[in-house]
Amino acid sequence: MTIFATVTAITIRALVGRRRTLLMLLLAGMPVLLGLIIRVNEDNLGLRILGQTIDGIVIRTVLPLIALVFGTAALGSELEDGTGVHLLTKPINRSVIVVSKALVAGTLTAVLVVPSTVLGGFLMGGLGGDAIGVTFAFALASLIGSFLYAAIFLVLSSITTRGLIIGLAYAIIWEGLVAGLLPGSQVFSVREYLTGIVQTLTPEAVGESLVGTGGFLYAAVAFVLALAIGSVRLARYEVRGAE
Amino acid sequence: MTVPTFAPLPSADAPAGAPTAPIVLERVSRWYGPVVAVNDITFALGPGITGLLGPNGAGKTTILHMLSGLLRPSSGRVLIGGETAWRNPSIYRGMGLVPEREAVYPFLTGREFVEMAAQLQRLPDPKAAADVAIKTVDLEAAANRAVGGYSKGMRQRVKIAAALVHDPPILLLDEPFNGMDPRQRIHMMDLLRSMAAAGRTILFSSHILEEVERIADGVLVIVAGRLAAAGDFREIRRLMTDRPHTFVVRSSDDRRLAAAFMAEPAVFGTELRDSVLTVRVAEFGGFTRTVARVARDADVTLFEVAPTDDSLESVFAYLVSRR
Repeated sequence: MTIFATVTAITIRALVGRRRTLLMLLLAGMPVLLGLIIRVNEDNLGLRILGQTIDGIVIRTVLPLIALVFGTAALGSELEDGTGVHLLTKPINRSVIVVSKALVAGTLTAVLVVPSTVLGGFLMGGLGGDAIGVTFAFALASLIGSFLYAAIFLVLSSITTRGLIIGLAYAIIWEGLVAGLLPGSQVFSVREYLTGIVQTLTPEAVGESLVGTGGFLYAAVAFVLALAIGSVRLARYEVRGAE
Repeated sequence: MTVPTFAPLPSADAPAGAPTAPIVLERVSRWYGPVVAVNDITFALGPGITGLLGPNGAGKTTILHMLSGLLRPSSGRVLIGGETAWRNPSIYRGMGLVPEREAVYPFLTGREFVEMAAQLQRLPDPKAAADVAIKTVDLEAAANRAVGGYSKGMRQRVKIAAALVHDPPILLLDEPFNGMDPRQRIHMMDLLRSMAAAGRTILFSSHILEEVERIADGVLVIVAGRLAAAGDFREIRRLMTDRPHTFVVRSSDDRRLAAAFMAEPAVFGTELRDSVLTVRVAEFGGFTRTVARVARDADVTLFEVAPTDDSLESVFAYLVSRR
């Protein structure tokens, strides 16, 4: 078993706890539940309304919350409770720890969010050609967003013990409020990158986005940057709670 | 038993690659804001068992964290096997750490935990190495149970197995005997002795004098972040014992006994207040050897003779005051 596989296996087992998984499953079920409600009460949603609905429930709510839980738990919780010392005192490059944990947190987020997005999109918009296009555009955006959000929140949890709260503040205050009031700040908003990606694929589904087609590039740069910062941070990590 | 070597410090002008002691701290300090946790400590350790002794909060864990590369020294240098400990994961190939905190992945079995350590050390046969380490700490019966259900002593042993799995020449243990029952403690002490006899360098922290006395010949006494004493345990023990003491004495006639004590050269002060006789003596051993004779000669019956300042803290305070 390689070092990468060992760290990955431990992280998966640490994250897939019964209570946490159940809560995340319930959260991931929200787009499907909303789709069912819409399906029972109305006909298929129009493309713009469909886009706004998926954007609101998946991109703005379910995705960042699930990524926040998995991202901060993957590394921050281990550093906090002391189990992380067993990884840090082994002859392995700290970037291997960061990358493997970020990929696990991102994959677990994607496993819950992407199918939920697809199923919810089908229920809300039906199986018409354009609606399927919108649904898959959001599915791709949520897949990319899963890894990007998870990586950012993981790095955050290695910097501060309040990663969960600061991550929540980022998603609600920065992305929800500041990015709306100050358009220039959208270049530091994961949500805007994802909106840009959807806009590139299906322009009719979402409104204007400052980053536009650059969403893919911004997301890629932010992901690499997050992993690099996390690796440097973990290489310089000092244990807390010494005498 | 192997006598630990208090090895010489590496010379600043030593050629590159010159052999150095396995563990070296050179003028190391560590502070947290205005708080100085470790203050200008220097020592070098060779093979053998050395006890890092000191009261809680003295700085023992900070020293072990700096030695294990988990904490950056604010000044000075920390070397493990001749290499800088800070930001150098390669030191862990030759070092095992048993941290004080109990935290172990609760969902893993003991065997999986030790095997994980073997895999992360890139051992050619992690399973076989884990089996040997588990047998070494006498944990075979519980090896297939989840660590979450382990007792404190069992967790301690599984951490030691994980630290030993790659057979490191340097072993650092932070309060390793915490939570162990007497049988496990004796077994672990025997194990550490045999590892030291095989040439390993072992440093363990403890705030219990008797633990250090039973296992270590060399001792580093840390008080308030400073190295209060270092060297052979018996010498330190003698310093700890033969120091000024204060005794409280109860007898059938405290006043007459106080007068008799004042004629003794080992006694330099007595005080009778609120029917309590306090005797200040120059050294512990001399007084305890003469107290019965003095009472008999004065025709006084002794009810109680008790040292008032025999706590470890007072011993440490005395050692600090000597420096």
